[in-house]
Amino acid sequence: MRGLMEAPPLHLTPLIPDAVAGSTTRFFTERQMAALRQLCEILMPPLKGYPGAIDAGTPEFLDFLISVSPADRRLVYASGLDWLDAEADSRFGIPFDAVTSVQADALIRPWLRSWMTDHPPTEPHAHFINVVHSDIRTATINSEKWNQAELATGEEPSGLGLYWYPVDPDIDKKYLPRR
Amino acid sequence: MIAREPVDVLIIGSGHSGGMAAKILTEKGISCLILNAGPIADVHKDTEVRQAYTLPWRGFKQPGRLPHVFQSNAFNANTWVDEKEVPYTYACGQSYNWVRVRLFGGRSLFWSRQSFRLSDYELKAKSHDGFGEDWPISLADLAPYYSRVEGIFRVKGHPDGLPQYPDGNFVLDDSPWCGSMQRLRSAGEQHGIPVCKARESLGVDGLASSVNLLLPDALATGKLQAIPNVVVRELRTDPKTGLIREAHFVDRLSRREMSVEARVVVLAAGTLESTRLLLNSKLANSSGVLGHYLIDQVYGAGLVCSVPEARDGRTSRALMDGSALIPRFRNLNTKAKNFIRGYALNCYSGTHPMDPRNFAAYGKELQDKLDSYSGSGFSMGIMGEVLAHYEHHVSIDKTIVDAWNIPALHVDTRYTDNEFNMAKDAVDTGCELAEAAGFEILTKNYEPNPPGYSIHELGTCRMGNEPRTSVLNKWCQSHDIKNLFVVDGASFVSCGWQNPTMTILALAMRASEYLAEQMRQGSI
Repeated sequence: MRGLMEAPPLHLTPLIPDAVAGSTTRFFTERQMAALRQLCEILMPPLKGYPGAIDAGTPEFLDFLISVSPADRRLVYASGLDWLDAEADSRFGIPFDAVTSVQADALIRPWLRSWMTDHPPTEPHAHFINVVHSDIRTATINSEKWNQAELATGEEPSGLGLYWYPVDPDIDKKYLPRR
Repeated sequence: MIAREPVDVLIIGSGHSGGMAAKILTEKGISCLILNAGPIADVHKDTEVRQAYTLPWRGFKQPGRLPHVFQSNAFNANTWVDEKEVPYTYACGQSYNWVRVRLFGGRSLFWSRQSFRLSDYELKAKSHDGFGEDWPISLADLAPYYSRVEGIFRVKGHPDGLPQYPDGNFVLDDSPWCGSMQRLRSAGEQHGIPVCKARESLGVDGLASSVNLLLPDALATGKLQAIPNVVVRELRTDPKTGLIREAHFVDRLSRREMSVEARVVVLAAGTLESTRLLLNSKLANSSGVLGHYLIDQVYGAGLVCSVPEARDGRTSRALMDGSALIPRFRNLNTKAKNFIRGYALNCYSGTHPMDPRNFAAYGKELQDKLDSYSGSGFSMGIMGEVLAHYEHHVSIDKTIVDAWNIPALHVDTRYTDNEFNMAKDAVDTGCELAEAAGFEILTKNYEPNPPGYSIHELGTCRMGNEPRTSVLNKWCQSHDIKNLFVVDGASFVSCGWQNPTMTILALAMRASEYLAEQMRQGSI
């Protein structure tokens, strides 16, 4: 501990892992991942100098996020991506990741809804399409690539907030239900 | 155990009600000890401005964490009580959102600042419509305390002369209406619905909390001591007198078990924590209604509109930067078709970009809509009264304990047709007003958020004149135990549509002055 109080702050700007590394684990199957990438490209392509979902690493990030999410959310995604793939196969004879933009629109548009916070659509296919759209947008807009584009255009950064660290945390937590 | 001198007044909880009790009692010369379950936060040490992409989940809430705190996000998650650390249970299919903060100052650190008085439509609701019970006090009893509280909290408002929206001691809001709100007011006039200025606590330097408005005054008297990080397990009485004698608590971090003796105990831990403590202590329940008549407020139903004249780059603060409050207008002089009591509508307009979820579109089409509609958003949301039913109650779940082995609470409540019909009426009425004002309705939602979402849980320890049907008297004093007071929202008989903070503060002030006088007379 000696000398720590006297040492100057370390002027280091940390990288986030996404900047240089990729995930080594995978939750979605190859077909599901391919469908998710196609969905990302269709729902949030690059526009007006801002990165699209693919450039922002959104499919890979969502694969990780959903892999550690509760079972009901994992089911929404996995079954939704399977459904999209099955629909594309049923209507056009091709997997979802091979559909054209016109074909994709025919599959997606009937399920688009407007909705308010905490009240996503409840019909299964509408629920999946609208929730995954919202998640794709959030993951993309909150990415470092998006932030760099905001800085380049002189826009106010949209993902800035006051982060609370744990306050005097109880590191000896024993909060599993007992008795 | 090493014996210490009993404290004069032990206050459990440091939020608005505990802070007010501490201020009033110490200013009257009474020594107080305040216990708080959580730590003291220091925003300079405990927070940092960060970009979402630097957070572990890229700005998403950590999966599985705080599922019942809809208000939590990646930035503020560490401020809320951990649901696994302090669990609670509810009946299958009857979800309840119990939203808690245990930092010193409690939820007073983060509340919305909306500041309203209850009217006699709420305080004497049974006399008005026959349901439930009247409070044992009226607006006339509370008015002097409301005025003093509004002075401390610097409530900004405009007098409207409406009995259902009682005027107060305001920092006058005579700001001009923005154009969109003026159009809503005109539409309201056509429908006989008042559209008024909202009322909010300005506080001091932007904060309206017990930590900056109440506790400093108490500390300045030299008569307040405080212990953070202690979780009260149980209150015990003297078997000879039946009065509260001591509080047993556990250190949050070390798990050390300790106790303190007190001449008087003031519970201010928040509605359900105060009731939980009394239930676990098996005290103050000769009436059998402790834990019953749980109420909160209907939130979540509402609509989002666009003001066409503000689109395509034409937005301006003069047109779009404003807010309003539509106070209760139902069931005053006429009866609504299928619900009793009433609701208010919060109205907001702004020059900010619109939420993309308001458009059933994606890709370039969505971006074009966002560009066109940016700055034209106008929203309305319900704050509605929930009826108090005996069956809606909390009890102790003996199968679950928290991280300190304190038995958890079980919540058994649900919304009824009255709440659902009220929410539908609110949205439909909002739509009528929006259309009359020339707004385009983009999204609407009829479904309330789960009970508890409003963070206005009230009741379960209600006041009344009759010890057989109430836990507390009109001074928030236990009918059964004269040296026990409950000064938080647990004493409410009905909830109204109004944010309860001003009423909680007024009741705490009134109860504390009564307690101080009783102690001065030697009655307690």
